[in-house]
Amino acid sequence: MATEETSIQLPVIELDHVNKHYGDLHVLRDVSLSVEKGEVVVVIGPSGSGKSTLCRTINRLETIDDGRILIEGRPLPEEGRDLAAVRAEIGMVFQSFNLFAHKSILDNVTMGPVEVLGRPRKEAEAEAMELLRRVGVAEQAQKVPAQLSGGQRQRVAIARSLAMHPKAMLFDEPTSALDPEMINEVLDVMVELARQGMTMVVVTHEMNFARRVSDRVVFMADGQIVEEGSPAEFFDHPQSQRARDFLDSIKGH
Amino acid sequence: MGLSELLTTYGDVYLTALLTTWKMTAVSYVGAMVLALVVTVMRVSPIRPLRVVGDLYVQVFRNIPGVSLVIIIVYALPVLKVVLDYGPSVVIACVLLGSAFGSENFMSGINTIGVGQIEAARSLGMGFVQIQRQVVIPQALRSAVLPMTNLLIAVMLTTALGSQVPLSPNELTGAVSYINTRSTGGILAFAISALGYVLTAVVIGFVGNRIDKRVRIVR
Repeated sequence: MATEETSIQLPVIELDHVNKHYGDLHVLRDVSLSVEKGEVVVVIGPSGSGKSTLCRTINRLETIDDGRILIEGRPLPEEGRDLAAVRAEIGMVFQSFNLFAHKSILDNVTMGPVEVLGRPRKEAEAEAMELLRRVGVAEQAQKVPAQLSGGQRQRVAIARSLAMHPKAMLFDEPTSALDPEMINEVLDVMVELARQGMTMVVVTHEMNFARRVSDRVVFMADGQIVEEGSPAEFFDHPQSQRARDFLDSIKGH
Repeated sequence: MGLSELLTTYGDVYLTALLTTWKMTAVSYVGAMVLALVVTVMRVSPIRPLRVVGDLYVQVFRNIPGVSLVIIIVYALPVLKVVLDYGPSVVIACVLLGSAFGSENFMSGINTIGVGQIEAARSLGMGFVQIQRQVVIPQALRSAVLPMTNLLIAVMLTTALGSQVPLSPNELTGAVSYINTRSTGGILAFAISALGYVLTAVVIGFVGNRIDKRVRIVR
């Protein structure tokens, strides 16, 4: 019991003085961030600020040079089965959807549960259909990804992650590759997830989403977390000049 | 010797030769495909020594003339106490050459799969072998149908190396030498064999196109 209580108090995701370089470029500078259970953290900042890299280090799609990343208090394994097991518990939604092009929508969603969790196919399919219904693309289950619109594909990608019953979900600019009219259908699904208590890290340019849905806004520039705070604090009273400049630049149009 | 005379005298030689070419082609191609798959998996594996060996293999066997390879297998290997029959020697040469080119076809098939899909599979918690089996190989196979069709034709043409060693029965090119040493068939004797190659290649190409249309991945 005691261990269970402590595990509830531990942050789901914790970055501790993380540094990363691409050659001479210092892409993450001493980044520390912790995300509590059920918290929705939105990461914003100009392009090249390191926000996508930050998101991708959390399930080690990007390695780090030094510092620590902890998932529920345990260090993120460097490779092999242990790393795969942690990845299976963290959902990831990409800018470019990354659905499996040769598989039907249904098979895209069942692949994780069947292959990784060893769930029986019938059971996985039933749950996948339920998830597809939840994100509004159940009628497309037998099609292949190329037959769907961008918005539909991204909703399938979210369902694919949810099928693993993740402890947390990472969204790496989930709406940046979408036509404007499709952005809301994806954001709606994300709002619903947030409402249901999913722990989320969302890298996005959708300021309305950040303001309405997030518990905390993290502003990054030049590989550093420059400022973080509640959405009201951040958007209405940004503390740093960088953040003020950034907010002004996006207000311009 | 005219056409009708050639065919009445050597019709059965040509027929046996055609069947022999088909058989050698089939065996070589299956071997080449299996080996190409193994080499390709080595080349994309996370283990560096395997990648190096795989790349080296392709560089070596893609860049050796078939005739040299047959000569090495037939005349040089016996020095190392490896003595192979002539037939298997030719097939092995075809397998080695074919697998090097086959692996290149698979690699370009793999390169059409975005790194994104592999990252997606990784973030579902899939391991290297699962990703290969579920995501990479099925797509690489499907997008490699046309180049692999061409490779099948190339392997068939490579079995003509059989004419450089005493084979029994002869394949199509060997049969021409055989016939021309006994009679003066001239260019006509070769034309009949050539027709065998061409017609087979046309059928292979047709079937390959059909398969490609059926399995091609829409993106």
